[in-house]
Amino acid sequence: METNNVNGQDQVQDTTKSPSGASIFWREITRDKMALISLIFLVLITAFVYGISLFLNKEEIVRVDLFSIHQAPSEEFWLGTDYGGRDVFGQLIIGTRNSLSIGILVTLMTGIIGIVYGLVSGYFGGQVDNMMMRILDFFLILPFLMVVIAFVAIVPTYSVWTFSLIMTAFLWMGIARLIRSKVLQEKELDYAQASKTLGSSNFKIMFLQVLPNVTSLIVVTMTLNLAANIGLESGLSFLGFGFPESTPSLGTLLSYATNPQTLEYRWWIWVPAAVLILLLMLAVRNVGEALKRAADARQRRG
Amino acid sequence: MKKISFSKALFALMLILLLALAACSGGSDDEGSDDSGSDDTGTEEGTDEGSDEGAEDEGGDEEPAEEDDGLYSVEDFAPSKTNEGEAIEGGTLNFGLVSSSAFEGTLNWNFYAGAPDAEILAWFDESLLGNDEKYRYNNDGAATYEISDDNRTYTFTIKDNVNWHDGEPVTAEDWAYSYEVIGHPEYTGVRYGSDFTNIEGMEAYHNGEADSISGIEIVDEKTLKITFIKATPSLLTGSIWPYAMPKHVFQDIPVAEMQESAAVRENPIGMGPFKVETITPGESVTYVKNEDYWQGEPKLDGVTLKVINPNTVVQALETGEVDMVDSFPTDQYPDNAEMSNVEFLGMTDLYYAYIGFKLGSWDAEAGEVATDDSMKMSDVNLRRAMWYAVDNNAVAENFYNGLRWAADTLIAPSHPEFRDESIEAPTYDPEEAKKILDEAGYEDTDGDGMRENPEGEELVINYAAMEGGDVAEPLANYYMQAWEAVGLNVQLLDGRLQEFNAFYDRVGRTGEDDPAVDIYQGAWGVGFDVDPRGLYGRDAMFNFSRYSSEENDQLLEDGVSEEAFDVEYRQQVYSDWQQLMVDEVPVFPTLYSAVLAPVNNRVQNYSIAVDWNAPHEISVTAEEPVVAE
Repeated sequence: METNNVNGQDQVQDTTKSPSGASIFWREITRDKMALISLIFLVLITAFVYGISLFLNKEEIVRVDLFSIHQAPSEEFWLGTDYGGRDVFGQLIIGTRNSLSIGILVTLMTGIIGIVYGLVSGYFGGQVDNMMMRILDFFLILPFLMVVIAFVAIVPTYSVWTFSLIMTAFLWMGIARLIRSKVLQEKELDYAQASKTLGSSNFKIMFLQVLPNVTSLIVVTMTLNLAANIGLESGLSFLGFGFPESTPSLGTLLSYATNPQTLEYRWWIWVPAAVLILLLMLAVRNVGEALKRAADARQRRG
Repeated sequence: MKKISFSKALFALMLILLLALAACSGGSDDEGSDDSGSDDTGTEEGTDEGSDEGAEDEGGDEEPAEEDDGLYSVEDFAPSKTNEGEAIEGGTLNFGLVSSSAFEGTLNWNFYAGAPDAEILAWFDESLLGNDEKYRYNNDGAATYEISDDNRTYTFTIKDNVNWHDGEPVTAEDWAYSYEVIGHPEYTGVRYGSDFTNIEGMEAYHNGEADSISGIEIVDEKTLKITFIKATPSLLTGSIWPYAMPKHVFQDIPVAEMQESAAVRENPIGMGPFKVETITPGESVTYVKNEDYWQGEPKLDGVTLKVINPNTVVQALETGEVDMVDSFPTDQYPDNAEMSNVEFLGMTDLYYAYIGFKLGSWDAEAGEVATDDSMKMSDVNLRRAMWYAVDNNAVAENFYNGLRWAADTLIAPSHPEFRDESIEAPTYDPEEAKKILDEAGYEDTDGDGMRENPEGEELVINYAAMEGGDVAEPLANYYMQAWEAVGLNVQLLDGRLQEFNAFYDRVGRTGEDDPAVDIYQGAWGVGFDVDPRGLYGRDAMFNFSRYSSEENDQLLEDGVSEEAFDVEYRQQVYSDWQQLMVDEVPVFPTLYSAVLAPVNNRVQNYSIAVDWNAPHEISVTAEEPVVAE
């Protein structure tokens, strides 16, 4: 599937084996400075927030302190305090971790459900496909935001897990459709037909033969979904349907800016979170774009 | 590289979007309750109505020296505007109605339900009875009254020069008519209640058994006589309906259709200092002066009233878009105390916030509270210890900059006549709290740092608090921390704050108390009438704590008995009652509150005092509002 580089040296060294996916990706990313910086940034920030938060005392950070309300950034509070006297820097670290966790969890879970659903639907086709797609259509027409808000209101305990599950329940359809359409093409190809003729089980063809051939599509879609999912959590929290303030997230920090006084006079509470959301989403997107190019020979730069 | 510049453009775009997103308000409007005017039962309030937030900009640059502790006090504010300069002839006043939603536009005292509509009404229609600073009706209004010896019959005389905006005189028949409409079986509004059933013959009329109300007699064109079943001092503090209704306008409209009629919605008339000129539904109302006003011709040419979003109040005041607003969000005060073009008026609000303990449930069949001695919070020592454990002074100073202050009794400082300052209520003393708990047998027996109940069982107290208002969340957390500090394990109900309506439903507004709630944090907007039966009586649905005792019943009954016409006796009764509440702690008050009203410097003769009734005297010193420097 990959075109070999016409560079003379490459031809001499290795004319039969096509370069691996990882090396194509690596080459693609080094050619795009923006993507490279984004990747480094992502790795650093992820390592940082997950690392640091091991040493932070969450109880201490969300503890209301009446005597240090609305402190401006200082040596004691690097990013000042909010209206409950809580350290914004600590909340930012834990908030970023929570938001990232949700983004990753939702992406993984929607990915798994979507892939399996799409594979089964596309591979079997016919009536099975028809029925499964109608069920999917049903989920698609649900007013996503309303239903999520209703669910958020009725779950008894609200944690990163329940939140992720609720989101997953309404976000797996896109990837399922994508995989299905790809599998519909893929199963008509000779290798799949041959395998079938040789008596391979459906399971084996689906998961061991067709699936690896749609991997690049999956990786790209999931990376781009990740960016969207981080934003989704922030958006819901901003609207007031996200986490309680005792579970900081980027969205709750941002939602403090709904107060005109905070927006105007106390930038340190919401600007860092806003900038971080922006950078995270941009960085994930940049990496995703590089991946996309790596997966599609026509768009490749190198 | 083209790609990079695209990313940069995207970055800039998203930054703008984010800022715009942050600027769009999610403005917390928790004015969920209807203000039912003279209703003496009080109104449910968000714990944080007006979204008050303690906010002191430490990094602020221009703090005046005398306020360097960042604290304010209601004492710093006068209720009346100081006058500077010469008034001009005429002029138009711009009044801002602070609300995050459109007003309903039910513009008749007999039918309105929302507080915004009441603000609009007040400009063009008024009570026939004036009241003094103790909220008692006096003879300074458009009508005077005399009371019979047995205190049951009131004879009202409407002054001769009181006319409707269309020139027709306001008659005794008009006043009686508003009673007939409210008592009518087909009446669609919310006014009909105990104030009206206390009139002789009202229930028979309401049930359709009589064509007229036997207790209401039209003596002559301007004289009305009303006889009540039970004489109580509450009659004079709002239990008499003081609004007339122009019968010549409404008589051809069926009662069931009145609320939706043009006479209420489109071209309402009243007897107040200004006439309604135009109404833009939900947005604004313009008034012109009523030259025939009974107190004299107004000095202003007119008034323009418009709805202002709470998030843009400051800007609207600074630019002079409005001269004044009905209520200013006090959390925005510290950052704007220096606004140069307005004077802030202030006074004590008819309000207290409190923590309530569930002591029973509502018995719907008997229509009264069923106090249960075996509830989790039934031990008075536990309740008192929880009062000692919280530092309301610190809460008031740090969250509210002193614009709220620590409360001690259940009669707010808005009623100084009946409030007993000498009562000693618990104040912050965690050691005392621990001592009380130790002595009452609440000890940590399993070594987890949290106290168990005297039977040695784990004690987890479920705490219901409502969302809305900016400090709701940290405030609830603070209280839980304070209780944890004395060893009590208090958990937020469902782990989160409750939405306003859900909160009051679960606490028991409909009588179906959620047994999961052990304690709750609520607030009351109290009525003019000091009588607390509507909130703490045995038969009061709003008695959310479901507390009852013989002594409480007796004191509350004494407070509205005939002897209570003697003010000293009534003071003693309510003093005893306040003491009883401090001893029994069915609820404990946490904060009292101030109300603030900024007024443009060009406005004269304006006041927010309760006994102020001279809207015709308002004048301005310039054609245009003063703009902030």
